[in-house]
Amino acid sequence: MKKLPLEGVRIADLSMMWAGPFATRLLAEMGAEVIKIESPRAWDNVRTLLPQPGATEPWNTAFYFNDYNRDKKSLTLDLSQPRGRELFLELVARCDCVIENYRADVLDKLGIGWDVLRKARADIILISMAGFGKTGPEKSLVGFGPIIEQMAGMASTTGYGDDGVPYKTGISYGDPIGGVAAAGAVVLALIARRRTRRGAWIDLAQRETMAQMLGPAFAAASLRGESPVHRGNRDPNFAPQGVYRCAGRDQWVAISARDDAEWQALARAIGAAELESLDLAGRRARHDELDRRIERWTALFLPREAAESLQRAGVSAAPVLDCNAIHQDPHLAARGSWVELPHPKMKAWKQPASAWRLVEAKPLLRRHAPLFGEHNREILCGLLGHPERELANLQAAGIIGDAPIGAREG
Amino acid sequence: MAQGEELPLAGVRVLEIGGGVAAAFATRWMAGFGADVVRSDAGRETLGRDEQAFLLAGKRRVGAGDTRLRELALAADIVVEDGAPGALAARGLAPRDLLRAKPALVVVSLTPFGQTGPAAHWRASNLVAHAAGGILSLTGVAARPPLQNGGNQAWMLLGLNGFSAALAAYFGALMHGEGDWVDISAQDCAAGMLELYGPRAAFDNTEAPRLGNRVHAIWGIFPCADGFAGVCALQRQAPAFFAMSGDPALEDPRFLDPAYRLTADAELGALVEHWFRDKRKRDLLELGEKHKVPIGAVQTPLDLLASPGLAEREFFDPVVTPAGVARVPGRPYLGVPWRAGELRAPAADTEAVARDWLGATP
Repeated sequence: MKKLPLEGVRIADLSMMWAGPFATRLLAEMGAEVIKIESPRAWDNVRTLLPQPGATEPWNTAFYFNDYNRDKKSLTLDLSQPRGRELFLELVARCDCVIENYRADVLDKLGIGWDVLRKARADIILISMAGFGKTGPEKSLVGFGPIIEQMAGMASTTGYGDDGVPYKTGISYGDPIGGVAAAGAVVLALIARRRTRRGAWIDLAQRETMAQMLGPAFAAASLRGESPVHRGNRDPNFAPQGVYRCAGRDQWVAISARDDAEWQALARAIGAAELESLDLAGRRARHDELDRRIERWTALFLPREAAESLQRAGVSAAPVLDCNAIHQDPHLAARGSWVELPHPKMKAWKQPASAWRLVEAKPLLRRHAPLFGEHNREILCGLLGHPERELANLQAAGIIGDAPIGAREG
Repeated sequence: MAQGEELPLAGVRVLEIGGGVAAAFATRWMAGFGADVVRSDAGRETLGRDEQAFLLAGKRRVGAGDTRLRELALAADIVVEDGAPGALAARGLAPRDLLRAKPALVVVSLTPFGQTGPAAHWRASNLVAHAAGGILSLTGVAARPPLQNGGNQAWMLLGLNGFSAALAAYFGALMHGEGDWVDISAQDCAAGMLELYGPRAAFDNTEAPRLGNRVHAIWGIFPCADGFAGVCALQRQAPAFFAMSGDPALEDPRFLDPAYRLTADAELGALVEHWFRDKRKRDLLELGEKHKVPIGAVQTPLDLLASPGLAEREFFDPVVTPAGVARVPGRPYLGVPWRAGELRAPAADTEAVARDWLGATP
């Protein structure tokens, strides 16, 4: 078996919530050793955002946290205490990269800004993921994914078209976009460092990576002064296209006729052969009518039945998979896209396999998300070489811990 | 901020085969970071003019038959393609064969459904791929159909993953001497990022309704005096949000209790909506900044092109197009050198690339 690409890379992960942890999940999947650092007094909020009813250790049993933090190690360190910072910097000296998604001013206020980190390791790579970057007049704005989405133009492009309302994505889309981009930034800096022997401080503003996802809209805006048009589920280049109601409650299928051949196949499939000679202009002009004809047909079928039937006929179509259906999808099952990873404190659930399928190195989920402070001994005594007896002192001082201080116990 | 002299991907050869948005976006940042990205043009250009302005800047373009394409692939460090499964093999460039011939090569294949599985060969538009990834089901309002995002997000997300995965695999090739074939599907990319809704459904089958613009009373988008704006307050920001509002109704201490807020979500939501209604975006953003509350405003690409903050951070690159100079997002982040690029005509660099990559003489 080939090695995973990032085997041998060690990352100190100060990130919290979703954007940063999503980045480090990707890096862990690629073989990096990711050490997640939380303070006993300021832990990753996602651990306790949605506590399981009756859970005795809610910080260790949150599926939300555990899904995005698997394959990482947990070290607790109170960075507001001098000894906590000292230990952190000892760790930095043994890491290739530090990643953080604090508000823009926080890392410096903690006393572990770029200049401090460089002293700990001259070629360290620091990835900062503040929502609006580390410089500029908007650096002090506070943002989560949905705020990023609004401020980056994404929400302005999404809408049904008949109500004038811009819509947020159903997930906090800015977070994983920032995360995937940050994972790439880490690797880019590693590639550069291999040649230059120099580290880098990457200032990744999540708003800017989100705006990249709309790149062509900026060409339209700058060349022709265009504002976004809310197209609902239609497409500017082909027709008909839409999301059509199927049999069952809130069941839908997405269908596109990308060219004349797909339209002709669709028209025949839905019993509208008399319309199959319509060209693109004609289909556009009669889009509402075609939508009604299509939906009259789709309403007879479950989404998968409709999609499979249309695919057999040569039409682009897929069921709109909701969060339950996606875990039952036969195609994803056949690809091994879900893995039930054992966890010591909770039942297993289907977690997503790596989306980056290295066909020969085969990234596999290796380990459940770490319990709070689970690797304190391994890292402080094993990696950093401190004597075991120091652990009790650190614990007594609240610098490390195996439970968040003040978190609600079930 | 560390700024090296040399572009981080200087000397890296990237071959883009495909013609779609996904492959073009995956290699777009590589070109900006200094890689020699060569795009093998498809027979018919499928990218629109605005897509070309953003996605093709800084790339060289060649016309290549199958034999020449294979030679270029074996001269590359990274190949990125977004054809249907089997399309490369049909041209004599099966990824496994390429890797046998050049073990350090990285081949990244970007498709709607991946290289394997019963739906691998399904036809897909951006909407269809988006539907299969789960995000579509969550977007929009419950009383209406699921709603796609603007801007071909299934393809863009696929391309973004292609960029980062390609670099990861390339770094592995540098460190361990072996490349790989990376199979990435749009469906997998989206299915693994369904926020809390995906894991929750996997854990206890909880349905995730479409919540429109309001997840709860202090997490959503609201109409304001000059458009739409939003707030996303967790429990830790809720007190600051209510305090900054200056509205006695919102400062009702009962709203500080998250359990009470759950029971009074509709009442509180109406108050928040009322509060936003006469505020202007600029004032809202200032309030949020001052009180450290996550407040946003719905901005359009035109707004962003006029943003002093993005101008100060030199976010946009000029790109000369036949229709004038476009301004498009340039470097995705600061801290490593980046170069703006020009647009080249189809096949304009065929001879130069053959010379540079293959040592071929005209």
